[in-house]
Amino acid sequence: MISPLTKKTLRTLYRNRGQVLAVAAVVLCGTACYIALSSCHRNLMLTRDTYYAENRFADFEIQLERAPESVLFRVQEIPGVRQVRGRITEEVKLEAPGLDEAKTGRIVSMPETRRSVINNVVLTQGRYFDTGAVNEVILSERFAQANGLGIGESLYATIDGRKHTLKIVGLGASPEYVYIIRSMTSLVPEPERFAILWVPEKFAEDAKNMQAACNNIVGTLDDPESAERVLDAAADLLKPYGVYAKTSREHQVSNRFISDEIKGLGVQARVLPTIFLGVAALVIFIVLNRMVRNERTQIGLLKAYGHGNLTIALHYMQYALAQSLIGAAGGFIVGQWLASGMIRLYVRFYTFPILRARMYPDVLVESMGIAVFFSLLGAVLAAYRAARIHPAESMRPGAPQRGRRTFFERYPALWRRLSFTWKMIVRNVSRNGFRAGLNVFVVMISTAQLIVGFYAIDAITYVIDFQYKMTQRQDATVSLFFERGKDALLETARLPHVREVEPLLQYPFEMRNGWHKKDAVIVGMSREGNLQRLLDTEDRPVDVGESGLVLSSALARSLHVGAGDEVELKPLMGKVTKEKRVPVSRVVEQYFGMSGYMNIEALSRVLDEPYTMNAVLVRTDRGTASSLHDEVKDVPVVASVELREDALKNLQDTLATSMRIMGVTSIVFAGVIAFSIIYNVTMVSLGERERELASLRVLGFTQREVGAILFNENFLTGALGVLLGIPAGMAMVWGMMHAFDMELFRFPFYIAPRTYVISTALTVTFIVFANLAVRWKINRLDMVETLKSRD
Amino acid sequence: MGIAQDITQQPIIYRVVDLVKEYRMGEVTVAALRGITLDVREGEFLVILGHSGSGKSTLLNIMGGLDTPTSGQVFYCDQELTGYTERQLTEYRRHHIGFVFQFYNLMPSLTARENVEMATEISEHPLDPAEALGLVGLQSREDHFPSQLSGGEQQRVAIARAVAKGPHILLCDEPTGALDVATGKIVLQVLADVNVRTRTTLVVITHNAVIGELADRVVRMQDGHVVEIKVNAARKNVDQVEW
Ligand SMILES: Nc1ncnc2c1ncn2[C@@H]1O[C@H](COP(=O)(O)OP(=O)(O)OP(=O)(O)O)[C@@H](O)[C@H]1O
Ligand SMILES: [Mg+2]
Repeated sequence: MISPLTKKTLRTLYRNRGQVLAVAAVVLCGTACYIALSSCHRNLMLTRDTYYAENRFADFEIQLERAPESVLFRVQEIPGVRQVRGRITEEVKLEAPGLDEAKTGRIVSMPETRRSVINNVVLTQGRYFDTGAVNEVILSERFAQANGLGIGESLYATIDGRKHTLKIVGLGASPEYVYIIRSMTSLVPEPERFAILWVPEKFAEDAKNMQAACNNIVGTLDDPESAERVLDAAADLLKPYGVYAKTSREHQVSNRFISDEIKGLGVQARVLPTIFLGVAALVIFIVLNRMVRNERTQIGLLKAYGHGNLTIALHYMQYALAQSLIGAAGGFIVGQWLASGMIRLYVRFYTFPILRARMYPDVLVESMGIAVFFSLLGAVLAAYRAARIHPAESMRPGAPQRGRRTFFERYPALWRRLSFTWKMIVRNVSRNGFRAGLNVFVVMISTAQLIVGFYAIDAITYVIDFQYKMTQRQDATVSLFFERGKDALLETARLPHVREVEPLLQYPFEMRNGWHKKDAVIVGMSREGNLQRLLDTEDRPVDVGESGLVLSSALARSLHVGAGDEVELKPLMGKVTKEKRVPVSRVVEQYFGMSGYMNIEALSRVLDEPYTMNAVLVRTDRGTASSLHDEVKDVPVVASVELREDALKNLQDTLATSMRIMGVTSIVFAGVIAFSIIYNVTMVSLGERERELASLRVLGFTQREVGAILFNENFLTGALGVLLGIPAGMAMVWGMMHAFDMELFRFPFYIAPRTYVISTALTVTFIVFANLAVRWKINRLDMVETLKSRD
Repeated sequence: MGIAQDITQQPIIYRVVDLVKEYRMGEVTVAALRGITLDVREGEFLVILGHSGSGKSTLLNIMGGLDTPTSGQVFYCDQELTGYTERQLTEYRRHHIGFVFQFYNLMPSLTARENVEMATEISEHPLDPAEALGLVGLQSREDHFPSQLSGGEQQRVAIARAVAKGPHILLCDEPTGALDVATGKIVLQVLADVNVRTRTTLVVITHNAVIGELADRVVRMQDGHVVEIKVNAARKNVDQVEW
């Protein structure tokens, strides 16, 4: 048997179904977000941790020139080190019959026979090396798939100028290459363009001429916290062997990206649902308070019949609960669906051979719990008021609505000019300040949210433009295996279709200022350069000068230096090991990373060379850049040719989906919130003013004119909301920019003018939709019925 | 105040022919009007009397374009109202009709004067709002909000609002229903004055037979029928009757 009160709840829910569904939609978004983000967060974490554990992801890695294997035992003996492994790794140029152009990759040596080693490879297809086989390779799966390479096919890898044939025997992945990125300035991972080649130790030793030696040491620790200490000790120990770089797991590039992402997801999983459910609580608060005020007499009657305070309070809680449960039920379905969609999106960016995608019953329960919590939070005050109503008092009519003079009336000239519609609106806004304020607030949030959502797209587009249209204006970059003199420039210039060439020297250094140290690349560029330019974040070209060092502000900060100071440079490669002191001539703000810039001639001198380069930038005749591949295919010194067009296309392809998703999500979020609140608040308003509006209809006001009284109020609060929303959006963007001010990348503060227009237009559209929904109700206003009784 | 005109000589402003209104509620059909035929003449003061539920309000609402009949016709100045669309009915109310109800239905957020202005803003031949308030004797209260006025005063503002539009017909559904006797008299006096001064046709619904004596004609309704139409030889003044 359903109790009469429950029946009342059900009937009220049905009668107000439009409003109920609008609230439920907000709850749905909240729970769906929570489920999707939390599940995704946990799935990624679980996947990462399982993947790392099963394949023994290293706690530290040291890159060096060349060390005899015997030294490994000494590293092993550093306290805290559990196990170490020496490897040979090297950048290579790749060719294959199926590839229309040469690609780059990295070889990583593996034991001849399959063992569980640190940074193991997971075979996703094929087999491990045959015993005794040398020229076999396990290729990274994403690369193989994207480039149409299969098991049994051959690859040609150029190592130190010599071409080797490798037969693909397996496809695989490894925990150190979840996020496959070629250089720190890449905006997106490039698993399809950058290959990882796991080769037998023997092959690597022969190719690099490193018998019983290694150039890369990875290891595990008893306690990951001790990484820095161990790395310092190891670096001391390995000093004679030329340490280039030492990296703890925390700073390992791939791990850094995935772990930052997981951390971000965890934050979002808390913030987004809170916003939605907080909004839902507000709506419930307003609707229920109004309902309790309306039903005063009924409540009094119920109490007079002997219903207890608690029963009455629970009755209103029940109404709120029902809405949140409807929403949460929808959220379950949408959340699960979103979670699986998100994981699929993540897999585009991160390479996981195993994917732990589970359903988490506890996440479902939690989402339900928070949905219920917020709805009850919204209901509690109304329920309390209902419980406090005194039966006898409730029968007396409530205090009449009072008109009140407003601030504007102090300016009679202005006031007299207002039509009575606007007078009513102004007085109503001032009387129901909270509700009007809520409308303003919600429109503000909606506008700001849209601006932030579109900003993400603007920022990415801007950075791409900055990178590929303003900074790097070359059509192709020809990278060389070794440093070469001016002749490389002349030779490249002689190639067909080449219009303009420019040298580039990128060299890794350890930079030092006192005890502040940082490994970074210094880019040597020609001062008259026209292709690659150095720009600051204001898009102003920066002159590298004759001899000084220009530092990106991030790098300058981490070294604690400024213009005029000196830094010590120690090359991390090659035969020069002597440190040189170089003055810092300037510090520039930059979007990307930690780099230094120097005049190429000055940088050459640091390396004890008169003039040297390791890349040539090329501008070609229109549309002929791709022919460069064929031209330089057989030039051994050429490591790779990267076409700007390819890089740009790859970037856009990779980002297109995420940008679309970002855009759509912010529109949906902002839309649901704005619509739901405005619709509900207006319906509450309509409920209160039904009589007023009906009597206007009697006087001969059209539906449109009557609607205008409510709608213009919404447009007024909306206009205010948009006006506040724009600076709020900018502030949020600014906050976000600083929150994400990472070492490697910083967002530009760039909001396209279009974003303001679109955000405003969309917000107005949401208000119009909410108004239309209310209009439907206004058109059905029954004048006779409404005016029959006293209110 | 004696009334000099002979109402029967005035042109017909309303012709109600065989008007039927039925409410269908599931299985049952309630007939509120069962074939009303009635003429209303320009400038007359017509009172409709009848027991509760006899269909008075229903008739008035249809005449005023708030409701539509099940069958039958209403002609207003030879225009058939009963064929009007919602939009046309709104237009009709806007320019021709003034309503006064038992409850005053003023806009609580507007002052007395603004409540009147609201009506004049949309009409073609409005009275000056101050003049309309003058008609009901409330000039001095024009800046007060409804909550600052008594019931009778509020009703007078409602009348001023209805009159200010310069309507051809004033339709009043129990205008004194919520007022005490003395206040009711004042309100009726105001209505009668308006009728005389502005030559506005006045139709008033009431339960109170005495009020009929103030009118030119009295229509008595019962069970959805017109059972009697009485023509008063002379209209009485408010202070000549007692109830
Ligand atoms: N919306 C409706 N649904 C069903 N029946 C209705 C409706 N409105 C009126 N009625 C019925 O129509 C009949 C006439 O109603 P009406 O309101 O016209 O009476 P009335 O003469 O104005 O009564 P009163 O003096 O009490 O105001 C009544 O029996 C009433 O119950
Ligand atoms: Mg009635």
